[in-house]
Amino acid sequence: MNEFLHVITSTLFVASVLRVTTPILFAATGGLISELAGVPNISLEGSMLTGACAGALVAGYTHNVWLGVPAAVLGGMFIGLLLGVMHLEFGADPIIVGIGLNLLASGGTTFVVFGLLGDKSGTSSLGSRALPKLDLPLLSRIPVFGDIVSGQHLLTYAAFVMWGLSAVMVLRFRVGSHLRAVGEMDEAARSIGIDVKRIRYGAVVATGALAGMGGGFLSMGYVSYFARDMTAGRGFIAIAAIYLGGRRPVGTLLACLLFGLTEALAIRLGNFDIPSQLVSMIPYVATLVGLGFFAWRETSRARRLATGGAPRGEASARTPV
Amino acid sequence: MTLTTDELSTVEQHYDRDAARRAVAVERRRGVLAETAGVLLTIVIALAVALVVMVAIGKDPYEAFRALITGPLSRSTRVGRLLEDWTTITLLGLSVVIPFRAGQLNVGAEGQLFTGALVAGAISVSWSLPPGLAIVVPMVAAATAGFLVACIPGWMKARLGANELVSTLMLNAIIVRLYSYLLTEFLTPPRATIVASEYLPSAARLPLLTDLFHVDLGRANAGILLVPVMTFVVWLLLRRSSIGFRARIVGSNEAFAKYGGIDAKRVIVLTFAIGGAVAGLAGAHLVQGVNGRLLMGISAGLGFEGIVVAILARNNPLMVPVAAFFYSYLRVGGDVMEQEAKVGTEIVYVIQAVVVLLITARLVQKLVERRRAQRLRTPTAIQ
Repeated sequence: MNEFLHVITSTLFVASVLRVTTPILFAATGGLISELAGVPNISLEGSMLTGACAGALVAGYTHNVWLGVPAAVLGGMFIGLLLGVMHLEFGADPIIVGIGLNLLASGGTTFVVFGLLGDKSGTSSLGSRALPKLDLPLLSRIPVFGDIVSGQHLLTYAAFVMWGLSAVMVLRFRVGSHLRAVGEMDEAARSIGIDVKRIRYGAVVATGALAGMGGGFLSMGYVSYFARDMTAGRGFIAIAAIYLGGRRPVGTLLACLLFGLTEALAIRLGNFDIPSQLVSMIPYVATLVGLGFFAWRETSRARRLATGGAPRGEASARTPV
Repeated sequence: MTLTTDELSTVEQHYDRDAARRAVAVERRRGVLAETAGVLLTIVIALAVALVVMVAIGKDPYEAFRALITGPLSRSTRVGRLLEDWTTITLLGLSVVIPFRAGQLNVGAEGQLFTGALVAGAISVSWSLPPGLAIVVPMVAAATAGFLVACIPGWMKARLGANELVSTLMLNAIIVRLYSYLLTEFLTPPRATIVASEYLPSAARLPLLTDLFHVDLGRANAGILLVPVMTFVVWLLLRRSSIGFRARIVGSNEAFAKYGGIDAKRVIVLTFAIGGAVAGLAGAHLVQGVNGRLLMGISAGLGFEGIVVAILARNNPLMVPVAAFFYSYLRVGGDVMEQEAKVGTEIVYVIQAVVVLLITARLVQKLVERRRAQRLRTPTAIQ
């Protein structure tokens, strides 16, 4: 037990939590934007995978890992844009489109990699490199804190910066309040002259870009190659984090850190006699309970207010295909 | 507006009931035809997309398509894999169709399948039941387990208003981990080289078709009987039972359903649960039939396959086996294509994705309808 405590309080472990959190935080930050704009986005997984693949391929073929970053962003944006077109132009159900896009990304990336390199497992034969780690000049001198925060991967810092920017945008800026208005009640937003469609397009494309960057971290940071289905459900974890965080930026960040913590723990627990499956189950159970709690709170509030209209979060029907 | 008795009888005189019924029947038949044509056209477009992708990546599309189309029938073992996949995918499709009728999207099939597999496997390994019962009891238990576990998202949706997409995704993640924990810790015999349970006693296993027909059909088994049986049961449930009727009303207009005295919450929970029971059966089929024991990752990436099938079948239970057959054919054909033409089997996922996107966006449908509208408009303009 002592040894266990020693491991999880070590700076190395805490630093690894930040590393594991990075891709989830990217995707959740992005996903929250779509979520708030009222477009449920489960194509995060697809955006991440496409970003990871595009990043590694471009970095490998150009021998320049820096070009991989815009490629990853563009790859993610492409999936986001497809979701936007299908949902906003043709009125397709965003969730089913999301399922289709995830399928497209999973099949498409493996197919392209196999077609180009003849190797199904991934792009390791391309020999692309990873983006550098960054030593923060002053912070690294602080004991303990410096060891944790400094020397992280470039994109890890980027994830936290992007989270901060998007939180400020959503909570403080005009475009953020428009975004939330569109998500809360698009009719009302439209009536005061907000271009609902434009906002939603912006949201899904931004989501794709951020999730693509998260994928880029996987293939150009975490490791230096693209591997088949390497996102391994992180896009869905991001969705869980958004809901566990009560669909708020700060809550989402904390939830991402919780997921990162349990994932890092599950990796380390191999050495101890604690079943890793049960540990990695914790955040999902927490999300399930949190989801029920938030929904219950919202419906009971709506019932109290008795607004007459159907309260948000009330069981709503989807038109069968 | 109220009508007097006189006016009502005039209306009745002018209203030729039989002619109206005939007109409705003709219209419906036309609708079905247009829809079928639309779905077929969608498939053709998806295959064309695959063709373009193959050419773009520098592969010989002729060789690839030949392997894709003739491959599944070229060896009896491949036919066996086709039948085995067909059974599982049909059951998964049916499990999605039921809640979808009530407007609920069940993405929890994976979790329900794992639950069913675990329960069927655990019972078969630990109890020795008399022949017959040894097959039926685990299957019924698997369906019950799927039923119960699917009640959770249904209940959360109906009572708390919790998003069913997120709750089912979470349950999938939880159940898959729980499955892997229980399998590793309790069901894998000590000193086993891989994480897997013992093979089930032969009395608990679905008879292999190979033994019945004396042709090597791989792992295809008597579970295939579940395809016609469950398709019929689900059709009966949706079209000829009161729960199906209520589900349809809840699905098309929940407020109206409540106004009409339907307990919408109960209907939502029930449709989820029944769907879960069918997915649980799919799990039992994988354990008692296909694999003969519990394995890690037993579903082999079939998680979302049910939704893909339900969409191609346009949520019609009778079309689910047809759509499932098409997809299992493609899956087997894709593998043959990879071996023989060096074209990645993943092109099959791309084809499926294109079909899903086109059908959900109703792109082809809109095109067909516009053409029909134009044709209908022309004669009226002449009059």
